[in-house]
Amino acid sequence: MKLTLKSGALGITTAALMAGTALANPYADYEGTTLIVNFPAHPHYDAVMQILPEFTAQTGIEVEVDQLPYLKMRERQTLELAQDEGEYDLIAYVVFSKADYVYADQLENLAKYFMNPKLADPGYDAADLIDGYVYNIGFAGGDRGYLSGATGSLFGLPYGSETSVLGYRKDIFEKHGLDVPETYEEMLALACQIPELEPGMGGLSSRAASGHHAAHAFLLHLNPLGGAIFDENWEPVVNNAEGVAAAEALKQIVDCGPEGAVNFGFGEALGAFLNGDTAMFLDTTIVAGQIDDPDKSQVVGQVGWALHPMGTERASQTGGFGIGIPANAENKEAAFLLMQWLTSKEGDKLVAMAGGNPSRFSTHADAEVNAKFPHMATFGEALQYADPDWRPIIPTWGKINADLGTTLSKVLTEGLDIQEALDGVATRARATMDEAGYYTWN
Amino acid sequence: MSRSMANRFTPYMFMAPAAVIMAIALLYPLGYMVWGSFRDWNPSQTIGEAEFVGLKNYITLWNDPNFRESLGVTLRFAFFVVTFEMVIGVGLALLLDRDIRGMSVLRTMFILPMMIAPVVVGLMWRYMYHPTVGTFNRFLDGWGLPKIDWLGQHALGSVIIADIWQWTPFIFILSLAALQSLPRSALEAARIDGATPWQQIIHIKLPLMMPVLIVTGLLRLIDAFKVLEVILVMTEGGPGLSTEILALRISRTATEFRELGVAAAMSNYLLMLLLLLTVTMFGFTRWQEARAARIRAAVEEDA
Amino acid sequence: MATRYERQHPAFYALITLLVVMSVGPVLLMFINSFKLDVDIISGATGLIFLPTIQNYETALCDVLWYEPEHIDFCSLKFGGAFINSLIIALISTVLTLVIGCMAAYALVRFRFMGRDTVSLTTLMVRMVPPAVLLVPVFGLWNNEFCLDRDGLIGGLIRDTFGGRGDVCLAGTHSGIILIYVAMNLPFVIWILQSFIVQVPRSLEEAARVDGAGPFQVFFLVVLPLIKPGLAAAAIFTFRIAWNEYLLASALSDRNTKTVPILIVNNMSEFNVEWGVIMATGMLLAIPPIIFTLFASRQIITGMTAGAVKG
Repeated sequence: MKLTLKSGALGITTAALMAGTALANPYADYEGTTLIVNFPAHPHYDAVMQILPEFTAQTGIEVEVDQLPYLKMRERQTLELAQDEGEYDLIAYVVFSKADYVYADQLENLAKYFMNPKLADPGYDAADLIDGYVYNIGFAGGDRGYLSGATGSLFGLPYGSETSVLGYRKDIFEKHGLDVPETYEEMLALACQIPELEPGMGGLSSRAASGHHAAHAFLLHLNPLGGAIFDENWEPVVNNAEGVAAAEALKQIVDCGPEGAVNFGFGEALGAFLNGDTAMFLDTTIVAGQIDDPDKSQVVGQVGWALHPMGTERASQTGGFGIGIPANAENKEAAFLLMQWLTSKEGDKLVAMAGGNPSRFSTHADAEVNAKFPHMATFGEALQYADPDWRPIIPTWGKINADLGTTLSKVLTEGLDIQEALDGVATRARATMDEAGYYTWN
Repeated sequence: MSRSMANRFTPYMFMAPAAVIMAIALLYPLGYMVWGSFRDWNPSQTIGEAEFVGLKNYITLWNDPNFRESLGVTLRFAFFVVTFEMVIGVGLALLLDRDIRGMSVLRTMFILPMMIAPVVVGLMWRYMYHPTVGTFNRFLDGWGLPKIDWLGQHALGSVIIADIWQWTPFIFILSLAALQSLPRSALEAARIDGATPWQQIIHIKLPLMMPVLIVTGLLRLIDAFKVLEVILVMTEGGPGLSTEILALRISRTATEFRELGVAAAMSNYLLMLLLLLTVTMFGFTRWQEARAARIRAAVEEDA
Repeated sequence: MATRYERQHPAFYALITLLVVMSVGPVLLMFINSFKLDVDIISGATGLIFLPTIQNYETALCDVLWYEPEHIDFCSLKFGGAFINSLIIALISTVLTLVIGCMAAYALVRFRFMGRDTVSLTTLMVRMVPPAVLLVPVFGLWNNEFCLDRDGLIGGLIRDTFGGRGDVCLAGTHSGIILIYVAMNLPFVIWILQSFIVQVPRSLEEAARVDGAGPFQVFFLVVLPLIKPGLAAAAIFTFRIAWNEYLLASALSDRNTKTVPILIVNNMSEFNVEWGVIMATGMLLAIPPIIFTLFASRQIITGMTAGAVKG
């Protein structure tokens, strides 16, 4: 009896307290602040642009967005973050920038914000964030230096992150009685079978253009086929049998792909699929919005989605963007509030409804979201296989990635021998790693 | 101040603004670049923080197959572009050197390509070369011909074509001006002697135009090393390194690979190459001018 | 005029028509496509049968339109701002280059002074420097060295007046881009104007001097009016470079000082190639050069010939 009374009183006090905080608007102190944020030109962030007015309406914090193509964005950030006082209050960064920024001490550790009771929203429910994304994009300092782990901590939150799924043309598959590929073998066979069945149509649309695009397309196949760039001791193993298999898969896909495939960047690859020039598309989840947009797409309603096919294992990529607060920002606390709002359950659902990529499990399961985007369920399933370690996120990666991309492009266009090409990449990668001191302890 | 004092300082006062600006914004940066090329320098450092590494950047580049390939692409691009443009431009000038109605309108239309921003030229051609929606492949398709993978397998050729489109008019107009300023008497004399049009061109017109043609060619050659935006927009240097000319590689090294020191060293190699070319061509011009003067004198004597 | 034109072979006219189509065709194609929807461009409903729309231009110019076009959710392009930046940068740098270049050219032609040959040779040499070579040093200098301390007198004043953060650097300002454009164009302008100034008869200047005019008066009142065609040619060429340049501007500008070429390249973002809008922005960027070409082709040709024949 006494006990119930006590807990009842406690309940009332808590309720009163909560009412108190609700009255004292946590955003009040920052009303009228203008945040300058740096976002990429990317479908997810286009959706974000649509929900930002809602944030301003709720909080009174203005947001001015500098939207740049993502490689440009990175250049800009390199410069801005190095200044004593930077212009940006909040930045979106590409996954592979994480290493550089954290290593150079340019991103705020988020612990102090989540510890601050005036800033941290108790209803945030961090456990609902997709853990694969958080470990891949937000954490640093743990296992292998760039992952989560006992020594890791949080520097950013996933936002506009993506995983890989296979899009296919339901009508074409039905017409020829084809099965949706479950494994790499099936997918590769189909990729070359389709041009024979449907003259003029390519099998699978993939990026392949020199540089980042080719490297990305290769990495997409590397993990599912059991390969890796480095082994446990940072020795390059990209030239082993699995690596060669991944490069062969890429070459086969491009050879059986639509016309001009060797020079496709992401935009062209997607464009070919939107235009009905290919029957399959294996890349990020981010494209779903455009495929359903009749202004851009000729294949509205004809596309089905399936999991990234299995090689020796199931491993879909994780990538995309995270958001973090630069160490040299002016309005860090208000920036945190924006960050928290964007990734909150409410914000995540809003952005999903506007066509963005949600970063919460609950949003993937949300009935309303699924009613508007039926593919969301498949995407949620794909996330279970999302591999946070599909490429090394270390400061030397930019250089190795560029070399990998150029070399692979030579394989695709100039007929360079695959083994020879990857051996070259491995040798140069080892030299780069050696110079950066990765073999100091060996 | 006395009048003579003022007079002595006048030229310096006229020169000063130009000299100061060029010193601050051209010569100092060039020196700064040479200084930076000896350093291991990334964009988030100031030059003072960057480590001095001596000639390492130059040596790395010299042994870098990618740099060599890029150098090869640059030289091939420059060679083909200048050759084709000279041949076509001069040829058209010889062909169109007649009194026809609307010549000035024609010339106006021909200079249009040169005036438009390289970025826009790049995007127009990127569209026209597009494998499926582009103008050329649609045209080929319409005639039942096989499509061509313009920016894929034939990227360098396609880029060269775009440059020829943009800059042949330059050579055409200069050659036309040169043709029209030739001494009429010499041509008249040749005609009376019964020289065929071909003979007139080879023995009289071309030799007399030579000084102008050489200067024009030199200008185009130097400009060919400056081309960047058109290629950046059309192919970004790909596929592989097949269209990655040095200017583009410098910009990528500086921004994408974040190696300012290496980019500076590469810039220096490019400068040295250009310097060599300029000096050679200048020597050649002097020699040619002397020769042309002799020919001119001889021809006029005959007349 | 009573000039009798020669009659030409029909093949000759065919050739001319072909040449005209080739040189103007791509521009026309861009013009037409800028009035098409993306779906029309991609699906290839060939030729001229399509419903023209100004939607692409609305998307491009959304930040300066007085109404909100209904087909766009938010205004991402901000073309108007970039256009104004381009105008400011191109106009100011053209005027500065002309004034400064003119004076230098005059000094080089009319006076014998110590260092004249050095200056002349240097001018000639820096003409061959490609912009890409300037990228690294200009990036480094403009961002790190050409700065005013924000606690300093002038730097503090600028920060107080205009806001912003950090030290006051040339990078990210209009002045920074203008400075490098002026420097880049000076050698060319000096060179081209020299050939015009040489033709001004010395006797005119001496007559003015006898009448008691100082050297600056002689220059501004006597020489300048006489070389107007040269100035026009030089102005067009300088404007063209400043208006069209991409590389250095992209290294130096920030979000408030972006010029149109940067915007166009940025807009060819890999996620979404919107051909219609790109063509519309390209068309807008090409308008000033097209106007020059149509109305000042004579000056352009004079300038080209003067620059090359003397070069």
